[in-house]
Amino acid sequence: MNKTLLGYVPDESPIYAIHPFVKLFFLLIVSLFPLFIQAPEWNLLIFFVVIILMAISKVNMSVMKIYVPVAISMGTIILISYTILGGIHPEFYEWFRVFGRPIYWERVRDALVVYCRILPMIATMVFFLSTSRERDIIVAMRSIKIPFVVTYVFAMALRSAGMVLEDFQIVRQAEQARGFTTAGKSLIFKIRQYVMYMIPLFALSLRRSEEFTNALVARGYAFTGEAAKVKRADFVLTHYKFGTSDIIMTTVILGLFIALLVFRFAFGSFGLDTSWITILFSPYK
Amino acid sequence: MEIIQLKDYSWTYLNTSGPALKEINLTINEGEFVGIIGPNGAGKTTLAYSMNGLIPGQYHGIKKGEVVVFGKEVEVHERGALQRKVGMVFSDPEAQFTAMTVEDELVFGMENIGMTIPEIRERLDWVTDLTELGPLLNKPPYELSGGQKQRVALGAVLAMSPDVLILDEPTSMLDPISRTRVFNVLEKTKKEKNNTVIVIEHSLERLVPLADRLILLHDGQVILDGPPREFFKEMALLVEKGIEAPGVISFFHQLIEEGYAQGELPLTVDEAAERLDEVFANLNKKA
Amino acid sequence: MDTKPFIQVQDLVYCYPDGTKALNGINLEVGLGEMMALIGQNGSGKTTLSKCLNGLFKPTEGDVIVDGLNSRDTSIVQMVKRVGYVFQNPDHQLFNNNCWDEIAYGPRNIELPEEEVKERVAEAAQVVGLDEGYFTEHPFFLSKGLRQRVAIASILALRPRVIIVDEPTTGQDKYQSIEIMNFLKGLNEEHGHTIIIITHDMPIVAAYAKRVVAMGTGRILADDAPDKVFSQPDVLAKTFLEPPQITQLAHRARLLGFDQGVLTVGEMKEEFDRLMPR
Repeated sequence: MNKTLLGYVPDESPIYAIHPFVKLFFLLIVSLFPLFIQAPEWNLLIFFVVIILMAISKVNMSVMKIYVPVAISMGTIILISYTILGGIHPEFYEWFRVFGRPIYWERVRDALVVYCRILPMIATMVFFLSTSRERDIIVAMRSIKIPFVVTYVFAMALRSAGMVLEDFQIVRQAEQARGFTTAGKSLIFKIRQYVMYMIPLFALSLRRSEEFTNALVARGYAFTGEAAKVKRADFVLTHYKFGTSDIIMTTVILGLFIALLVFRFAFGSFGLDTSWITILFSPYK
Repeated sequence: MEIIQLKDYSWTYLNTSGPALKEINLTINEGEFVGIIGPNGAGKTTLAYSMNGLIPGQYHGIKKGEVVVFGKEVEVHERGALQRKVGMVFSDPEAQFTAMTVEDELVFGMENIGMTIPEIRERLDWVTDLTELGPLLNKPPYELSGGQKQRVALGAVLAMSPDVLILDEPTSMLDPISRTRVFNVLEKTKKEKNNTVIVIEHSLERLVPLADRLILLHDGQVILDGPPREFFKEMALLVEKGIEAPGVISFFHQLIEEGYAQGELPLTVDEAAERLDEVFANLNKKA
Repeated sequence: MDTKPFIQVQDLVYCYPDGTKALNGINLEVGLGEMMALIGQNGSGKTTLSKCLNGLFKPTEGDVIVDGLNSRDTSIVQMVKRVGYVFQNPDHQLFNNNCWDEIAYGPRNIELPEEEVKERVAEAAQVVGLDEGYFTEHPFFLSKGLRQRVAIASILALRPRVIIVDEPTTGQDKYQSIEIMNFLKGLNEEHGHTIIIITHDMPIVAAYAKRVVAMGTGRILADDAPDKVFSQPDVLAKTFLEPPQITQLAHRARLLGFDQGVLTVGEMKEEFDRLMPR
């Protein structure tokens, strides 16, 4: 089992054979697909394809259960803000009324379109984070020649986030060991107390940052000057070969994207008019 | 050959009431394995940081006197150049781990000094072997113990092949097994490379057998300086200044003072056991 | 005599969420007024056991009974009033911007009336020897030794009968270690607290602990007075710990007649005087 950013992936997973660049490319390009697709059924298709890819990569799918309540509440919020809170629009078709507020067909449809756009984008992000270790992200960035300082700052942020999370757990325990409990207290109290966590976390970070800087200097890292202009050998890249399968996958992803654009703009596909939702549910027949 | 020279060196941190180091005069020679000991607050860390340029580079304060390393004052060396020749290992394993895997950490310093990929590969193999980190190369920091992280820190610095290696309380946060492993690496380094090593430590038992020279720092001044067997003859002074000598040394100091044993102080349990047998044998002859 | 020990641990098993078994069947009894050292390699389960004792962790199997209360059925708040735990790094438990509020944090959490809070803070500060002048200081800027004392005072303010201190002497020099250990000893002898110290510092264990519990791979490997534990090299080998250097010398000098339970240089010298051929 190897720990990725969002979970665990077993050693036998096929995802390790793929160059991190391809994973990053997938994330960036496939996240763009829903922007050009209005028809909800196509976005849902992308969503399910990504889920299947996650299963093939042997990501621990039971962890996905955590996201279900999030997905449901998000959908509910979108629906409510588009419909009940969506204002009065006499030009729209009024389907029915709820609490005296009119529910318009167009609004419901738009809510569904937005929701189905967000789902695959989030799924793609979750897929990426569940199958990537910190090192993969850094390798992906270096392989597209992002400047070293940027990738390093990013890596340090990841490292610090890890340290802060560990500290957070210990701080929580230390609070409990001093009799702190939120049981039976008001929400305001709880929020205020959570802010108090910041104090020890901040203190710890301050102390560490001095040592961290010293450690960087001791490793010969120069921020400015002659020493900073050294040509870096990116040793970590020697572990990752960009192979034929990687080239094929990148081409396929790119090809799908181009095809998408062509069909969208040249043939008007993936639009709302031809979508099943309009065909099946539109009151304007 | 003199590598580090401090002449009448004083350092006062900004916003503090007095100097942390007071007119230090000290010379470190090439190839020496030096131990610096003293109570907390004596100025050991300040001294270490002064020798590799972290002071005054990263810290604000008032400097008096000279700190000459490799023939030049520390501030005169180009930015980053001195730190590549004088490696430093700090006491907190957590804060020193800057990369996301062990291998990346070991390689980071080498990339910084512009080594090529074949050079890095070779040095990486050597350092991995030396620190016995082979099985851990792909592990991220949160899967390592404190002791393992310290070995990585030591390896990362050794990989840069510094001429001088300074270690500031490298084992104070570690358990005894990890401590032993770190000192084993230092022992191997001493045999293989014979570079100059300066170790600041509280736990003397492992340090004493390796050190060519011990320096007692107290309240910003050098009080005692000499090879271990000479150093520990000043037992009364050491006790007064809050130093706890290793058990076997204290014990034999008493035996020698009371005339039961002669000669030099033993530095290890093995030596002490042999000497104890000798003492009993001698006493048996007399009896 | 039917007085039950203050803490009873019965067949305790603890597993972390990811499945690793940290404690594998612990049986332990701790009474009032004990001075105990909990030793073992990193990962042997010392910290996990301590957190089970004060209620931070609930047992996966088995029971932890403190002052008659089973930790499974008792809230953490009730548990920590009886068993205090001082974390290794004082920075993890500084929540206020002055020492007085810091020490008052515990009593306020358990909703004591302000009058009593004031009383407890004064008392705790006095016991740890914290000068009133520090009450308005921000804990972050104090020296490590002082921060540790503030941390201990803030636990004392809850008046637990048992206090667990995690690595009190790590990173301290000899005088500082002696100071903190003497202080803990005072808490034990004058105020009757049970003190459990988690440590690797063998000479400290030899000098101060009246009972040593050695752990390894989630089990208790030895539970006895220090001289008994240190005189069994095979037990210590399982914990991967070494006895103090002088004890090692005594072990090597077994054939000369040296007592195998020697713990200090003083004792070694006494043995020498006793055995020395005349």
